[in-house]
Amino acid sequence: MSTPLILLPGDEVPSNHLPSTKNNPLKLGSGVRLLSQPSAKPAASNHVLTATQAGILTTDAKRNTVSLQSFSNRRYIPTTNDLVIAQVHHSSIDYFHCIVTPHTAQALLGQLSFEGATKKTRPMLKGGDLVYARVSSVGVGAGAEVEITCVNPATGKAEPGGLGPLTGGMVFDISTGFSARLIRASSSSADHGDAIDGLVVLAELGKKLESLGGFEIAVGRNGKVWIDCSAAGENAVKSTIAVGRCLQTTDDKNLNTMDQKKLVTRVLREMKLIS
Amino acid sequence: MSKEAPLSNAERDFILEALREDVRLDGRNPDQFRPLSVSFGDEYGHVKLQLGKTSLVVRISAEVTKPRDDRPFDGLFQINLELSAMGSPAWENGRSNDLEAYVTHVLDSVVRRSNALDTESLCILKGVSCWSIRADVHVLDYDGNLTDAACVAIMTGLQHFRRPDAVVRDGQVIVYGVEERVPVALNITHKPLSITFNSYNDGKSIILDATRKEEQASEGELVIGINNGGDVCFLSKFSGAPVDAMEMVTKSTVALEKVKEINAQMEKAMQTDLAKRAKQGMADLSRAENDR
Repeated sequence: MSTPLILLPGDEVPSNHLPSTKNNPLKLGSGVRLLSQPSAKPAASNHVLTATQAGILTTDAKRNTVSLQSFSNRRYIPTTNDLVIAQVHHSSIDYFHCIVTPHTAQALLGQLSFEGATKKTRPMLKGGDLVYARVSSVGVGAGAEVEITCVNPATGKAEPGGLGPLTGGMVFDISTGFSARLIRASSSSADHGDAIDGLVVLAELGKKLESLGGFEIAVGRNGKVWIDCSAAGENAVKSTIAVGRCLQTTDDKNLNTMDQKKLVTRVLREMKLIS
Repeated sequence: MSKEAPLSNAERDFILEALREDVRLDGRNPDQFRPLSVSFGDEYGHVKLQLGKTSLVVRISAEVTKPRDDRPFDGLFQINLELSAMGSPAWENGRSNDLEAYVTHVLDSVVRRSNALDTESLCILKGVSCWSIRADVHVLDYDGNLTDAACVAIMTGLQHFRRPDAVVRDGQVIVYGVEERVPVALNITHKPLSITFNSYNDGKSIILDATRKEEQASEGELVIGINNGGDVCFLSKFSGAPVDAMEMVTKSTVALEKVKEINAQMEKAMQTDLAKRAKQGMADLSRAENDR
């Protein structure tokens, strides 16, 4: 792509920027919305995509998706298919009532929406437990309930992998824009190399912490990131904090690639994890 | 939805586990404050303070009123703190919560009732008129330790503030404008600050300047109000787990160190600002051109 296209709320997404595959339906990510426009000629295509927030237009030709990469804000608006880290508030007969974003209505997570869950084997979650889940529907109109799930209803598997209750570890708050960048960086690292969006902090941390046992990470689009280093033994707490601090600082200061590498070395040295 | 977002079990366990190893989430030492920065507005007594992610604005203002009948020689001084939805989504406008009542009480005890501001110096004419000084605290962002941050900001504001000069001539009170006479500083008797300690793991780990998450995981807190001379003017243990008596003594030494450190930093920031103002004022006066 030549230059990034910046859209403001209400702007139309130009059709020449959309992925051009015809056989797959186009999937909409966060920040874009389909509007139908009344037109004089009914035969003409009368649907337009408009931006609902300010951001850079990003498209993925392989998966045929289009979304807006927003800037570092703190507010999260649920969008279908987003991966989020939710906190169970209380449970009722059919649902776990979860907090996706504080101070907003709770999201519903079905008691059986887990991989391999039956009435007897379903996980017993208490208030305050964490789950990694996918937003399955956001409803339409005001007061509609957001539903989340930990399983793909078509296959009965936890897809993408890793959905389900999160035990141990620690949650750090980051901006929603940064969490989107983290997800993009990890999903496209295989074909693009690590340097997408200039985000190397995770790769660098992975390299440096490998000898200590590495770390597990789950990124929620709602501005939360869960980190667990239980493999690191007695250094578990320190390395978890190190990873969290690196991510938060990168987010707050908007560091470039060089500074991210320096930050990782500095923080790990401060925590006495590497010499 | 007026409640603070609850802490998840994983976070609580982790914070406690980390403190057992003497590490904190942001890599600070147990008795280390977050970076404290202060800046001043255009007018005297307008202070913006940033303590980590907690940030607030304090405005000191003065007006001439009638003193209370039972205290004809005393001026008035009051501290106003209102937690509005601007500071945190957990707070509602116009509805007071526990935190607000608690912080107001501590500020009142540490700053006002310890007589940090000499109210007798605010008297203009016995029983007829006096200055009423008011400190308004506006919380812009909340990430824990509101008490200490507000206390530092109010004390800095009081020292920075200049009230208009007033004299009594033939039984008549004359207040001079800021342009007519150099405004006068308030009479500060001592500089007390509150220092909050949070305890964890049955009092085994005690930390300073807790963030919001750390505050939520805390089992109890201890507030010490102390001035530069080491006089403890306020000590409170409102709720939560008990704290060892010996701990209170050792912690007041820590608090004294911190108060000295913060007061020195605030003093420096204020002197820099006042020097800048003096220079600018002189430059304005010596300018030949006028706005025509």
